Amino acid sequence: MARVSLKGVNKSFGKVEVIRDVDLEINDGEFVVFVGPSGCGKSTLLRLISGLENLSSGEIYIADRPVMDLPPSKRGIAMVFQSYALYPHMTVFHNMAFSLDLEGKNKKEIRERVEAAAKILQMEHLLDRRPAALSGGQRQRVAIGRAIVRNPDVFLFDEPLSNLDAALRHDTRVEIAKLHRQLEATTIYVTHDQVEAMTLADKIVVLKDGEVMQVGAPMELFHHPANEFVAGFLGSPKMNFFDGVLSAADASQGSFRGEGLELDDVRLVSTNKVNGEQIRLGIRPQHMVLDPAGQLTGTVTLVEQLGTESVLELITDNNTPFRFATPDMVDIKVGQQASFSFNLQSAHLF
Amino acid sequence: MTRFFKHLILLLIVVIWVLPFLALVTTSLRSETASKTSGFWTAFTPTVLGHRFGTHDRDNTEPFVTMSGNIFERLNEDKESFIVSGEVQSIMFTGRVPDPEKPGKTKLIRQLIYAGEPMDVRDGDFVFQSNGDFVWTFPEATAPKPKNLDAFINQDPVFGTDAYVEVLFENENVPNALISSFIVTIPATIIPITIAAFAAYAFAWMRFPGRDWLFVLVVSLMVVPTQLAFLPVLQGFSGIASWATALNAWMTDCEATKTCQVASKSFASLWITHTAFGLPLAIYLLRNYIVGLPKELLESARIDGASHLKIFTRLIIPLSVPALASFSIFQFLWVWNDLIVALYIGPADSSDLVFPIRLQKQLGTFKDQLHLLNASAVISIIVPLIVFLSMQRYFIRGLLAGSVKGG
Repeated sequence: MARVSLKGVNKSFGKVEVIRDVDLEINDGEFVVFVGPSGCGKSTLLRLISGLENLSSGEIYIADRPVMDLPPSKRGIAMVFQSYALYPHMTVFHNMAFSLDLEGKNKKEIRERVEAAAKILQMEHLLDRRPAALSGGQRQRVAIGRAIVRNPDVFLFDEPLSNLDAALRHDTRVEIAKLHRQLEATTIYVTHDQVEAMTLADKIVVLKDGEVMQVGAPMELFHHPANEFVAGFLGSPKMNFFDGVLSAADASQGSFRGEGLELDDVRLVSTNKVNGEQIRLGIRPQHMVLDPAGQLTGTVTLVEQLGTESVLELITDNNTPFRFATPDMVDIKVGQQASFSFNLQSAHLF
Repeated sequence: MTRFFKHLILLLIVVIWVLPFLALVTTSLRSETASKTSGFWTAFTPTVLGHRFGTHDRDNTEPFVTMSGNIFERLNEDKESFIVSGEVQSIMFTGRVPDPEKPGKTKLIRQLIYAGEPMDVRDGDFVFQSNGDFVWTFPEATAPKPKNLDAFINQDPVFGTDAYVEVLFENENVPNALISSFIVTIPATIIPITIAAFAAYAFAWMRFPGRDWLFVLVVSLMVVPTQLAFLPVLQGFSGIASWATALNAWMTDCEATKTCQVASKSFASLWITHTAFGLPLAIYLLRNYIVGLPKELLESARIDGASHLKIFTRLIIPLSVPALASFSIFQFLWVWNDLIVALYIGPADSSDLVFPIRLQKQLGTFKDQLHLLNASAVISIIVPLIVFLSMQRYFIRGLLAGSVKGG
């Protein structure tokens, strides 16, 4: 059982607070992705769990064991670095065998475990090579293999795909997902790429400025973002926001007036707002439909045809930019007016 | 055009640097006479040199009418090296001929006689060819005394290793100096580099209070000149030596044989001094290299369970080979060529003198035997040259290739 719990975790470098009061429960076998913009503290949080950084305050439990005072190697974790961090003077075999060798395992066991890991990753033929003779994808695979060999309770991935090219990134992502299904080990994965987060995660943790913004399953976060930041961070193209005034608010719904829109009974996310206060309406570009009778009207400033999708950039009469995305081909030129309607179920008030 | 000048200047620098070595090697390979009488640059082209040869051996008293021989055979009779070959141009004739101005009288002349021209030697007709063959004819059988003649020979370049044989095998000074220099240099290279590697790792990757200040302090020690420290260092060593002498007297029964005295100037004191003065630079160089190794590598090793010592031995040392090699070369050269430290702090026994001191002493003993002096110098140069060339293969580029992104 390898649950990971963080309780009131704080980390500051000098006066700079990097991680603020993070509480998190990660269940056994769960694939958790830390996601957020750069500088949000997601890598630091991972390093705190790994033990490469020391906590300023708080508690971390791995497999129900407090690990705050344990060195990285005793925490039952294995880490895959963004930069691979392979030992350049050792062959792939010795790279993978290094940790076992240090534990003083006998030669036979080392060989068996390294070969087993190599088989899982289909790289038995690479064992005698040096890292310099490997491609980027192969190197990352060796780095993952090095983690597997240790048979850890928890796998930690620190942006493992950032150095790969787009095609390879996709393949490796699929492989990591398969691997997780095969090994069923608890995995914590740090990325700034929301596609990786959405596709891999059982649970996403969105971080901003060292604070947890929201924790939840990918679709939950996508459809029910807890705040404007999460709503804006997840999804591509980004969610559209319109400024307006709140009225007729109750515990979960409210009316929105602004940008020529008059909407009633929209889901109210920010429950602390009162009638008459400034509020923002969020609606995803994909959730809008072209509708000549629609309330939302804008002038097209850019048309992007991606093949699978068409994205229009528009601007309202109040100079608020917004986007519209549709899988269909659209026949609208730059400078034309377009009107949209949308299902109130998919709109949010922040 | 600028490219041409760049190459020209580069060539000039190379020539300036290589020329003295070339001069040393050339002179050391020439004969004593040649090295004394002409510059090293004449050694590669035929040069006219005078040689004295005897027409025949003194004990050869058999009368003859015609004697034939060869000048080169005569010259090279007793030689094993520096064989003279080439072309005989002329012979300096010294003798009396009838004086045209005073009939009936003779006068002494000195005249160059060229190949094929007859010459009067002890009343015989002496004719030589440029290949060295000579014929000496008398009217009737005579047994003349041998005559020494001075031949000017356009001599082919000739080299030999006699000087090396002489300095290396004829007395023990140079071999002893070689051995002493190795005894001094090898530990004085290995000890500081070992200490410095540990220290450099600590300064680069271990966290301890005052680390940066200590590093600055160590590096600033580089400015302390060795000469300034001689007096305190010497005092220190003589203190240790007298303490060791007392201990020796107390622990062993050396007093009976009067061998208690421990020398304050010894190989060990040289090792310590060179280590001490080599360390700041070594720590500085190695720390700067080691701190540049990718952080993720060390973190990865920590996660793999490596202690500081294991990280040091299994990662840092193999990955620092280029830096270690370049500092070893540095330290080896400096210690090998060091005269002043060895002079003040090194052992004083004649058999323990290191090479630079031996060379300095040879300047006195071999003052007009340039070829011997140069042979010793070349021997002392060749050792660091071998060290340099053999260490050079450790300057491996791209040692870190494949470890981290872009590496």
